[in-house]
Amino acid sequence: MSGISRRRFLAASAAGCVATTFAGSKKALAAGTFGGYPEGMGVLVDITRCVGCRTCEAACNKEQNLPDPERPFDDMSVFDEIHHGQQRRTNEKAYTVINRYEPTGSDQKVYRKVQCNHCAEPACLSSCFVNAYKKTDEGAVIYNDKVCVGCRNCMVACPFNIPAYSYSSAFDPIIKKCVFCYDTRLKEGRPPACVESCPQQVMTFGKRDDLIKIANQRIRNNPDLYVDHIYGEHEMGGTHWMYLSGVPFDELAFNMHLSNEPILNNVKDFLGTVPMVLAIWPALFTGFHLLATNKKNGHGHEEEESKHNDEGGDQ
Amino acid sequence: MKALIEAGVKPVDSYRPGENKRPWTFKEKLMLGLTPGQYLGQALRNPFNWILGLIFAVGLPLLAYRYLFGLGVVTHSSNDYPWGLLLGFGLFCMVPLSASGFMLGTTVEIFGRHDFEPIERLALLNGLLGYFFAVVYLLVDLGQPWRLAYPMVISFGPVAVLFLVAWHVATYLSVQVAEVSVAFFEWIGWLGGKRWVRKIAIGLTVAGIILSTLHQGALGALFLYSPGKVHPLWYSSAFQWILFFASSIPAGLCMVITVSTVIKHTMAWRCDRNFLDNLDYCTLGIAKGAAMGLFTYFFIKVIAVAHDNEWAYLATGWGFWWMFEMFFGVMLPIILFAYAIHHRLLWLVRATGFLTVLGICLNRLNTSLITFNWTIYQELPHIFEFIITITLLCIYVVVYRFILYRLPILYTWKEAPQEAVATEPVKTEPRVSAGTSTAPATSSP
Amino acid sequence: MKNWNAATMNLLVLVLLFGLAGFAGATDMPETVVLDTLGELYEPVEFDHTLHTELGEDCSICHHHTTGTGPESANCARCHADSPESEVVACSDCHEAEPFAAGVLQAKAEDRMRYHKDKPGLKAVYHLSCMGCHEAWGAPVGCQECHARTPAGDDYYHADAKGDAVTH
Repeated sequence: MSGISRRRFLAASAAGCVATTFAGSKKALAAGTFGGYPEGMGVLVDITRCVGCRTCEAACNKEQNLPDPERPFDDMSVFDEIHHGQQRRTNEKAYTVINRYEPTGSDQKVYRKVQCNHCAEPACLSSCFVNAYKKTDEGAVIYNDKVCVGCRNCMVACPFNIPAYSYSSAFDPIIKKCVFCYDTRLKEGRPPACVESCPQQVMTFGKRDDLIKIANQRIRNNPDLYVDHIYGEHEMGGTHWMYLSGVPFDELAFNMHLSNEPILNNVKDFLGTVPMVLAIWPALFTGFHLLATNKKNGHGHEEEESKHNDEGGDQ
Repeated sequence: MKALIEAGVKPVDSYRPGENKRPWTFKEKLMLGLTPGQYLGQALRNPFNWILGLIFAVGLPLLAYRYLFGLGVVTHSSNDYPWGLLLGFGLFCMVPLSASGFMLGTTVEIFGRHDFEPIERLALLNGLLGYFFAVVYLLVDLGQPWRLAYPMVISFGPVAVLFLVAWHVATYLSVQVAEVSVAFFEWIGWLGGKRWVRKIAIGLTVAGIILSTLHQGALGALFLYSPGKVHPLWYSSAFQWILFFASSIPAGLCMVITVSTVIKHTMAWRCDRNFLDNLDYCTLGIAKGAAMGLFTYFFIKVIAVAHDNEWAYLATGWGFWWMFEMFFGVMLPIILFAYAIHHRLLWLVRATGFLTVLGICLNRLNTSLITFNWTIYQELPHIFEFIITITLLCIYVVVYRFILYRLPILYTWKEAPQEAVATEPVKTEPRVSAGTSTAPATSSP
Repeated sequence: MKNWNAATMNLLVLVLLFGLAGFAGATDMPETVVLDTLGELYEPVEFDHTLHTELGEDCSICHHHTTGTGPESANCARCHADSPESEVVACSDCHEAEPFAAGVLQAKAEDRMRYHKDKPGLKAVYHLSCMGCHEAWGAPVGCQECHARTPAGDDYYHADAKGDAVTH
């Protein structure tokens, strides 16, 4: 080495490392929980206003160039469709569906719109191993069909059972789900097609934070009209599409058993264990090997070329 | 084959057929040293091949159908059940059953238990083929299988548990190919390759243990993404990955017992004395490991149920189903293993090994398919999915058999036929292969 | 007398005229309103305003407090009990045709003192306002009962779709 002694060099490096660690730590210590998307837009779906006209389904079909439906969008007999004891769900031809419910104790029909809820911390995004999903700053959870392999883990992960798969396609099957009209509208700050089309303004478009305030105000102004709960405010870590209802949510097939934690939190412990195993197993098992074997047994890997049966039975 | 061998034909098991003869050619080795006529004859006489032929006659066109017309024609195109039997069996069942590779590799290489060497290569091959065919099942199930390598090279989603599974399976396959390549290099006569792999054997084995622990666990962790969809008795918020990892140990071991039993009864001609004489001993040893693994798994399972406070579910229909699985898949095998090992009843050990394999499969199918969506509805997979699953399993068997017929897995490769090959790898008293209780046990495994 | 009578008559007529004009209330109250600002999918609506004024007791049922009569809703009365008549009373004068246009949202965000941030758009208020009474009084509630669909509308709703029910 040149002018510096080795000891000095190592000491300086160590000091430098320590300095950088502590220099950076201020930021690291300040890092807390995930803050959400403050500029994110959202939609408040007011179920008390919905009359089940299905115009939103028609709007979505047109905006997203979806295939022609089996029945016209003003055909209300679709509300009687039952498959496997379940009402309609999103599928490869429909990013959104309306379902009709008959809550107990009232013969008033209630209608509810089903579509991707654009979670703040989506399960689909967390489960995708090719990073096909993206949560944009505008609040939309969008999907890149150019990298999707078709593993369908996102469909397993979504607690709302929203993503559908185009199984009918042989050479380009992809996930089909509501993308908040991101490419055609949200990017430019415009509301999605369904929101605009609704004759009763069931859906209100705005910043998510503002929508929560509006929702609370509606509940406050009309306490007899609304159930005092904004579905999606906290469920699964918060969703950008939220709901107000005049009847208990579980009567409208909302899942009331969802945690307020995003799905991602379920796997964090395991993911944290992975590097631990990577770090501990090598020493652990090399240790076992050294302890379990000794030269006295005569088994060494020095005997590679011997005609001993070791060789034949060995791998 | 048995008939041919009785008639004096000797399948290839060495570098050259006789001292002054030229070495076997590759083509001859492929044909086991038989003439094409002899080879075809034995293949056509085998009734198992007729069954395979029937299955392939239906299944192979169905496979083509799937690729030409999409998954929609061979599945129910279910958006509620995105994962069906192809993954439920092909991935979730086959992977734990293939844990034999790292189990026996660790036993022999890490713990130095060379008394298990006779069965080590079979266990390694079992592991390799199981994982390889898990990938084959994936290639049939994935929507766009030509993009299989995407998570490795095109677009990374490292937050996803499946990302870990993909990388680990790919890496572990390489490890296993390397481990089995020793037998392959012997067979094709490239000893240099074999030497090189042997040098890194410890490293390969340790890598194998790490990778196996993580991806066996990761397959369990996949279900953490859908907590409400898997029935609580099969879902553990804190321990799902440990449950899957712990159960993979008896799974792999019992798969070796099962496969070696099938081999003993159908392919004994291919096995040499080293394998056959030590098989009972190895089987007993493996059974002991499996029994301990099962007992540990049972213990962990009870803790997991307690941790999530799921006791109330036991009194439901699903609860009875859970108890059925636990009894026949875990508790009964523990009892039977204990009895069989103690009394050295090899037939019972083998039967219990097979029972355990079924129990593991039941557990995986319950988690991934049967109790999945337990709150909404149950859906039986499409009949075509059943057929394709069975077809791929038959292809697996055919490939397995193909390799076992040729590579020195069940027999020891000889440089020349008259080379004496010692059958006892460890210098202790000969182990007794115990089939009856009259045989004295002179040394315990 | 003749001169006094003529002058008085003229005065009387004038008073009567003005009085009647006063009684007629807003002489600019329309008889029919054609609602055509939104129509692409449906034909314009011929809204019979006179009929509705006769049916409803109070202008504020539809016009809130803008016609000078107190607001119906207790919520509104908290602030608007004594609000005077507004300059404009037509729905479209306050309720935007595009309630979520960027400019509208921005104006709402910038005005920190603004209370009415939840004002529905024009299309919505037509329906929200009308449907309640129509349902209660047995008046038309079907879409095409009030406004026929245009050919573009038939296209939009895929009126010619003739398939069987979707099987899964």
